[in-house]
Amino acid sequence: MKKMIDYIKKEIWSPYVAGILLGVVGVLAVWLSDNLLGASGAFENIAGSVGKAIAPNLFDNLYFNFIMPPGLTWGVVLLIGVFFGGMLGAATSGTLMWGKKGSANSDAQWKRIFGPQIWKRWAIAFIGAIILEYAAGIAGGCTSGLAIAGGMLLAPAAFLFISGMFASGIIIARLVYGKRY
Amino acid sequence: MTTYIIALVLGVFFGFSLNKAGLTKYHKIVNVFRLTDMAVLQFMMSGLVVSMIGVYSLRALGAITFPNIPATYIVGNLIGGLVFGVGMALSGYCPGTCVAGGGEGKLDYLIPGLLGFLVGAILYGLTYQLVFPAISAMANYGNITIPKLWNVNPFLFVTLFAFISILLFYLIDRAGLHRKDNNQ
Repeated sequence: MKKMIDYIKKEIWSPYVAGILLGVVGVLAVWLSDNLLGASGAFENIAGSVGKAIAPNLFDNLYFNFIMPPGLTWGVVLLIGVFFGGMLGAATSGTLMWGKKGSANSDAQWKRIFGPQIWKRWAIAFIGAIILEYAAGIAGGCTSGLAIAGGMLLAPAAFLFISGMFASGIIIARLVYGKRY
Repeated sequence: MTTYIIALVLGVFFGFSLNKAGLTKYHKIVNVFRLTDMAVLQFMMSGLVVSMIGVYSLRALGAITFPNIPATYIVGNLIGGLVFGVGMALSGYCPGTCVAGGGEGKLDYLIPGLLGFLVGAILYGLTYQLVFPAISAMANYGNITIPKLWNVNPFLFVTLFAFISILLFYLIDRAGLHRKDNNQ
């Protein structure tokens, strides 16, 4: 029992143990509520809610009315859970960053390669996030909704997506890191 | 109400697993692309093996039916994946890990990440009709699965996938590719 608690408190688990937990969660989502894990779709629901509140005419289109209607969907609630799950995970290993120095530029490897400037990390991350969400739209999901949830159902789409993701990820990392690759 | 509680609880475990796998760290995501730490791949593939066995067994037992299977349209899935990898290598997160990292209190996840996803979502929603119908019409197979497409027993495919994964895990661990990072 103590061993188990000590393991839970570790900052990084074996990726296999964490992966088994992920797999069980993916199965339970289908079993308990006939839903698939996902993350990018929830941002579309939230974007629709925000957009319709600010510029109802602009957001009165097929996509925000019917394809990804706004509102507190199952996926949005799941995402709220993910937020608290990350918090709980960090809390158990004592690595919460709330209010801590360095929380605005959180990764040591990033700082070593690109420097400590916060604006630089935020600008590149912001652009990266826009690209991620747009790409997830085109592909039909992100790493959770398509790669994991689609993959477990053996949808070819998931494996096409994963192949594309690794191919370009490797190229971009090589370009970004250059000689430090 | 119950379904929301289930969503919330599953979300907590999902975010917890992302945190414990280390995927809420920039360097973990980028280093899988640099081939210096394969944790992301090990995490994803072990999750896939477990969930594949789970959902296909439960379906065989009649306990579940499959929800909407993500659609296969080869060009769009592939291009989407290619563009997605660019965003992932730049930011060091994907939508799920960014939310979990935000929960840990990392502001470089919480602010540029979530704002970026919202902007991306708005851009996509507003250009959807220009982009999606055309790209998803190319090589569209609909809500298909590999066993159906190739007409093979799903458990044969799942066994094969599990076997390949375990072989890959063995090779990764042997090569010591997930060597301890000395940066953190």
